[in-house]
Amino acid sequence: MKKTILAALALSLALTGCSSGLTIFSNYRRIENIELVRTITADKAEDGVRVSVYGTAGEENDARMYENTGPSIGVAMGEMILMPLGREAILSHTESMLVGEDFARERMGECLDYVERYSETRLDTGLLIVRGGAAIDLLKGLSGSDPAASDILAGLDKNISRVGEGYVFTCREVAASLAGNGVALVQCVRGVEEEKLFEARGDLNLEPDGFAVITEDGGAMEFLTEEETLGTMLLLMKLRSKNVDLPVQNTVSTVSVEKIRTSYEPVFGEDGRLLKLKVRLELSANLISMRGAADVTRREFREEAQTRLSGIMRDAAAGAVARSQAMGLDFLDLEGIVSRKEPIRLEDMPEAWESLFPTLPVEIRVESRLERTFDIVDPPEISGEEEKSPWEKLIESLKDN
Amino acid sequence: MLRERNKSPEPPKIGEDAPVTVAAMEAVFRDCYDFESRELHIGGDAANRVRLCFIDGLVSGSDVAEQVIRPLTDPERFSDVRGPAAIAMLLGGSVYVYTAKSRDKLGDAAGDLLNGFCALIFDAERTAVTFEVKSPQRRSVEAPKEEKVVKGAKDAFVETMKINTTLVRRKLRNPHLKIREFPLGERARTSAALVYIEGFTNEGIVAEASRRLGRIRAEGALTSAVIEENMVDNYRSPFPQVISTERSDKFCMNILEGRVGILVDGLPLGFLVPGTFSQFMKVPEDHSGHFIIASALTLLRYLSVALTLLAPAFYVAVAMYHQEMIPTRLLQSMIEARASVPFPTALEVIMMLLAFELLQEAGIRLPSPIGETVSIIGALIVGQSAVEASVVSPVVVVVIALAGIAGYTMPNLDMGSALRICRFFLVLAAIFLGMFGVAIGCALLTYHLSTLESFGVPYMTPFAGSEGRHLSRALLRRSMTVKRDREPELKTGDGGEAKL
Repeated sequence: MKKTILAALALSLALTGCSSGLTIFSNYRRIENIELVRTITADKAEDGVRVSVYGTAGEENDARMYENTGPSIGVAMGEMILMPLGREAILSHTESMLVGEDFARERMGECLDYVERYSETRLDTGLLIVRGGAAIDLLKGLSGSDPAASDILAGLDKNISRVGEGYVFTCREVAASLAGNGVALVQCVRGVEEEKLFEARGDLNLEPDGFAVITEDGGAMEFLTEEETLGTMLLLMKLRSKNVDLPVQNTVSTVSVEKIRTSYEPVFGEDGRLLKLKVRLELSANLISMRGAADVTRREFREEAQTRLSGIMRDAAAGAVARSQAMGLDFLDLEGIVSRKEPIRLEDMPEAWESLFPTLPVEIRVESRLERTFDIVDPPEISGEEEKSPWEKLIESLKDN
Repeated sequence: MLRERNKSPEPPKIGEDAPVTVAAMEAVFRDCYDFESRELHIGGDAANRVRLCFIDGLVSGSDVAEQVIRPLTDPERFSDVRGPAAIAMLLGGSVYVYTAKSRDKLGDAAGDLLNGFCALIFDAERTAVTFEVKSPQRRSVEAPKEEKVVKGAKDAFVETMKINTTLVRRKLRNPHLKIREFPLGERARTSAALVYIEGFTNEGIVAEASRRLGRIRAEGALTSAVIEENMVDNYRSPFPQVISTERSDKFCMNILEGRVGILVDGLPLGFLVPGTFSQFMKVPEDHSGHFIIASALTLLRYLSVALTLLAPAFYVAVAMYHQEMIPTRLLQSMIEARASVPFPTALEVIMMLLAFELLQEAGIRLPSPIGETVSIIGALIVGQSAVEASVVSPVVVVVIALAGIAGYTMPNLDMGSALRICRFFLVLAAIFLGMFGVAIGCALLTYHLSTLESFGVPYMTPFAGSEGRHLSRALLRRSMTVKRDREPELKTGDGGEAKL
């Protein structure tokens, strides 16, 4: 038995491949010789594609950028990886891939293919489309002499979703969405010339610029407006928080929307047709600043603020749904939501989803609640009803669902 | 020629079964400067002679004088008493010694002398009467030095077996507690005792322990390895299979669990069989502290096993082959730190592991204050200097130190040493095969541990060999208020249920 196990383990050594030198396993790299690629860019070039990698060889070393052109991303990257003299570039720590708008319009699928198929790149690499210019120019403009351009891009992921300006979809999410319903969203960014935050920075600052809608066949690519992007984030439950200015009682009050809960309820007719889709958005907000004077403890103030907030959010969500239906592209994945809620009824529907979707009535209801005004007195009860216990709230929400 | 010249003349061969005579006894102890033999006159009668023999130092001179010589030479007590009658009187309590034995075989009488007896040899009757008059010069019971006690009994075993059996008896006042004596070693004839509770301890384990003690063919049992290596099922395994302890409370607790104990004269240790892996992860303090804290500490020890075994190997595998597993920031720091180190990662780790072992060995061998100083100097100054001189990178120092510290949490020194050996093999496997090598190493280690048995009990029970039942018993400690089960593998006489 022992001999059998030892023989099996010895034979399994063959799985590791062979290499020269002391080691048997072929993946050996000297850690001090590694060039750590953190950002990849891809832009349209005359003879195909212009790619660049941006990486560092250590914490205090200056960031370096290498670029190359080739007929495809794979060929151009393959040649370029050999370029860093005396160093071995590894792509396993790539955090973001920037794609120029022109290249994205034509060959977005190739970028996804490269990330998915190359053994080192990770599927959780963030995918970004650079609007109004080349991706490499944005990266150069961002970095200056500061090696932290990749940090800026990595930080973008967290920061823009926190302030409700966008959401960086990873290659995995984009590819899964394309494979699922033939359409996907990609975050767009733009370089803007603003005053430098500090001298080492480059000339450009990074700004989110809405979502791009891409399709599986790589044909049409459209961009969502700021309001549609907000509505999309609400409906996809990607919004973590958002500051909104509300004109309330002669003031401009800024509220921070902190808790967002989205629920869907498909309504089927007796003949099995999907009659409409009910969407319910529940928002909780806190008052964070106010220009002008008003008594924030008054019920009227709160009710008006809640109504205005609900209106803004309802318009944003309705705009996103309308755009999706107008394009005939279900980038909000409403079909997926209905199939998760009512898989059998969706399957048995007499009409195909594709033909139903553009005219499907979507009823959006938004309930906003201004929780805290940060006033020194306790907020008064404004609903006029007795405050419900968490247990009662849970039972009510279960009944609703 | 030289060898022949240096060879001492062969002593006359006297069988152990030979009758006891003065000449034979003196022949046995020929050239022994501590052997004393003097003639006594029974009842003061010069015609009624007997020979007193003893080993000076092993017996108490005053006890011999007061308890044996004085009554024996008293004319009123032994007036005209000769031969068999004198022997009968001696055995009947006419001298003031509580242990008296009649010996008609030379081997038995000589053995008694070596065990702190004095012998009165009656040449004509070819008989000796031996009395126990051991010298009181022995180390007193002290607190354990190696196994620290915070909250528990502080009486550790000493080199004298009688004291050790007394410590056990005081804790286990059970008439069924048996202490069977065995002579160990063909030449040293060291006394050993098998300790168990009759009717409770598994008879099969008792019988097997007796058999293995009886088959020990060493010259003497002067070191613990003689017991441990002869008692284990697989002596080639570096993992300890016999629990050794200097703490009498731990010894007794294990006896109550259904284990068999072994005490050896001359060794301040108690041995316990069967030894299972989970037992080496426990300390008596687990039963002194709160059960939640004890359980957490036990889990911490298991975590330490993983850390001490795998940390260096995992680092080598990740740094050499699987850089994608390292978080970006950490990898950047590692690249930066490694940039100025001239040695490859493999050599760097091996060097640090060896340096760590050297420091540890130096710390143990040197006298206590110097040893501690060496350890501190080694850890602080040499480690820091090595980093500053770019001989090693700081991450390697952290990893090796972490593995070393985790190893020190092992309650059993032998288990810690076994894990250190395995750590080297895993590092070598990682150097050649990366994470695949670590996986192979772990698989082989698990295989080895799972095949080990101690007195018929699977070594890895309850992790292996018991279908995964009773896992909580190994990992956690239940409250003392809860009726708890014993290790079912020990098959105790009460069916495994402890009486509260």
